[in-house]
Amino acid sequence: MGFNENQTATIQGSEPVVSVAKPELINGSHAVIQSLIAEGVKTIFGYPGGAIMPVYDAIYDYQDQVNHILVRHEQGAAHAAEGFARITGEVGVCLVTSGPGATNLVTGIADAIIDSTPMVCIIGQVASHLLGTDAFQETDVMGITIPITKWNYQVTNADEIPDIIAKAFYIAKSGRPGPVLIDITKDAQQKLMTKPFVHKKVETLLSYHPRMAPKDEQLAAAAKLINQAKRPFLFVGHGVQIAGAEQELIRFVEKADIPVASTLLGLSSMSVDHPNYVGWLGMHGNYGTNVLTNQCDLIIAVGMRFDDRVTGDLSRYAKQAKIVHIEIDPAEIDKIMKADAPVVGDAKIALELLLPLVNENNHEAWKAEFKKYDVIEDEKITQPELAPTTEKIKMAEVIRTLSDKTKGEAVIVADVGQHQMMAARYYQFKKPSSYITSGGLGTMGYALPASFGAKVGAPDREVVAIIGDGCFQMTIQELGTIAQSGLPVKIIILNNNFLGMVRQWQQLFHQKRYSFVELQNPDFITIAKGFGIDGHTCAKREDLHASLDTMLASDKPYLLEVLVEKEENVFPMVPTGACVADIRLE
Amino acid sequence: MTSYTICVFTENTIGILNKITTIFTRRRINIESLTVSETERKGISRFTIVIRSESRDAVEKLVRQIRKIIEVLAVFGYLNEDIAYNEIALFKVSTPIGAKPLDIETINKTYKAWVVYWHLTYVIIQKTGTEEEIFEFFDYIKPHEILEFVRSGRVAVSKSPQTLVDYLPEAEWEYYQ
Repeated sequence: MGFNENQTATIQGSEPVVSVAKPELINGSHAVIQSLIAEGVKTIFGYPGGAIMPVYDAIYDYQDQVNHILVRHEQGAAHAAEGFARITGEVGVCLVTSGPGATNLVTGIADAIIDSTPMVCIIGQVASHLLGTDAFQETDVMGITIPITKWNYQVTNADEIPDIIAKAFYIAKSGRPGPVLIDITKDAQQKLMTKPFVHKKVETLLSYHPRMAPKDEQLAAAAKLINQAKRPFLFVGHGVQIAGAEQELIRFVEKADIPVASTLLGLSSMSVDHPNYVGWLGMHGNYGTNVLTNQCDLIIAVGMRFDDRVTGDLSRYAKQAKIVHIEIDPAEIDKIMKADAPVVGDAKIALELLLPLVNENNHEAWKAEFKKYDVIEDEKITQPELAPTTEKIKMAEVIRTLSDKTKGEAVIVADVGQHQMMAARYYQFKKPSSYITSGGLGTMGYALPASFGAKVGAPDREVVAIIGDGCFQMTIQELGTIAQSGLPVKIIILNNNFLGMVRQWQQLFHQKRYSFVELQNPDFITIAKGFGIDGHTCAKREDLHASLDTMLASDKPYLLEVLVEKEENVFPMVPTGACVADIRLE
Repeated sequence: MTSYTICVFTENTIGILNKITTIFTRRRINIESLTVSETERKGISRFTIVIRSESRDAVEKLVRQIRKIIEVLAVFGYLNEDIAYNEIALFKVSTPIGAKPLDIETINKTYKAWVVYWHLTYVIIQKTGTEEEIFEFFDYIKPHEILEFVRSGRVAVSKSPQTLVDYLPEAEWEYYQ
């Protein structure tokens, strides 16, 4: 009898059922969902489990307002939320259970903090009276995620939920964005709030004041250096896209006539066709951009953090140049490169305010120097890559053909490794917010889940995931999510049967001792078909165009496997510890 | 190695100690001493953390990283000359029957230390002062056999006329020169 009563109660909602129509006092779970709705959340990436079941029970009532996408592994939820956040600029939301649900998110959270991606993770936790008792599926999620979250908080009282979620969204999105984790005990989810639900957005906090508008004196000092420079060089980082500063950037560099290079995450902030755009920086960046970094007299770094993959050996990096560093996170100023003129603030506002302070200028001769290097790079690397004589297809030609067919306007979601570098090199980005990849953490397996997250965020854009055969097998189960949600994501596997980047390093720096990099791969197309996703393998150059056309023409998810050259290398390359000027072309 | 005192003002929430110390751990900076208590403002805690470092630059970076913690209201790094500071130490000193008696007058007048507890076979002496003063007294009292010795962390107040209120609530980030 008692059992049956419980059954009924569980089906209808474990707490006294609080209907949406009568919202005077709702339980914590309903407060979670209503708060998310109040924050404008339309999509949640999640996976249910014991400690988050009350929230899942509540979400059942809001399916007309919130789209929940059931992933196949919590890491997939995190990366999908990242993909969504990266393309929309909005906060990506994950909902998972305690213990393993939470720990499976950890890689994604670490990825989001290093790539400044706004994310709110809502985690179930064991009931508060069980905290610290090693209860079933209890993990110290707070302790684990302190170093990898912008903020984390444990809720043990239902009344706190609206305020904490409002605070979480404000923190995740403002300033330098990042992941926020809210750990909610099961009893806080179940209990009724003792006061009526009110969700008030947070717009300021006592202890957190991200600076948006830079100080006048900092702008003036920066403008002075920019106006004095003979060979200024502007670096675009991820901050430009986050701030939505693409137009301000163009106006600024056109007026002062400054050549622009991009970091990996800055790619697509400026069209490759723009006359001031000179290429990509760093380890596998362009020849001219790297060499001339050590010949410019001023670096204007906008929303970037001088990552070691950009700088190479710091003791020989841009020693001759003065530095203007426009950056919203004060902790990045002087962290790697001492700034002669720091400008702390939002990139969009900073560039807007700098515009009237800089003189119109003409740096034709200086910009022309990049062209000289481009000719060499084109002849030595780009042309042979794009028109190869090898029997097997090369990655570069796949990417460039895709680029031509999509007019450089697709969203490219690249995984981590050689294919990521090839995608960055050979896709001709024409539209902002078009390159999504795991830059800072280098998380293999990122692209498949991030691609459907991006597709949710930009349903009208063509989203193409570029994935290596190694990466694909790290989150291959997310094919199930794609199939179930029906999101028409296009997936290209560049299959070389190797962990290609590691193999390249082993070839170049470890005397070709190929230590555990060769893969025996499954039949990817059969796997895709098993998930209900159509696919095709392209093994021959003459089939490449038709294969890409078929993929792009599909209005469903589609997997294209391209069998590529097994042992090709990504060049140019600044080997670890080398100086940017010593970039290798072979 | 220079001694730096870092004062951190935070909201008084669970886990904030962990959030602060993890910044030190990640950068392999050892904490020499740490004290925490609530300030004159309710709900606001003050951490006093002493570290040694060869690089002022590294300390400034550390300070900026601590400032990134959401609950942190303000962080200040000080050299010893910038602050008034003190520690407290307790010595449990053996006084068995027949042993040379303690020279209480010297302890009081020279070392400004006080016996706070008497027992038949030992006493507990409290000494307040800088680290150096405490160790001077340590050396003096050592022949009497120290059964137990404990030092608190440093507490410090800036010599600047400004108070915490001058930085709060606006607590706006100032670029570190």
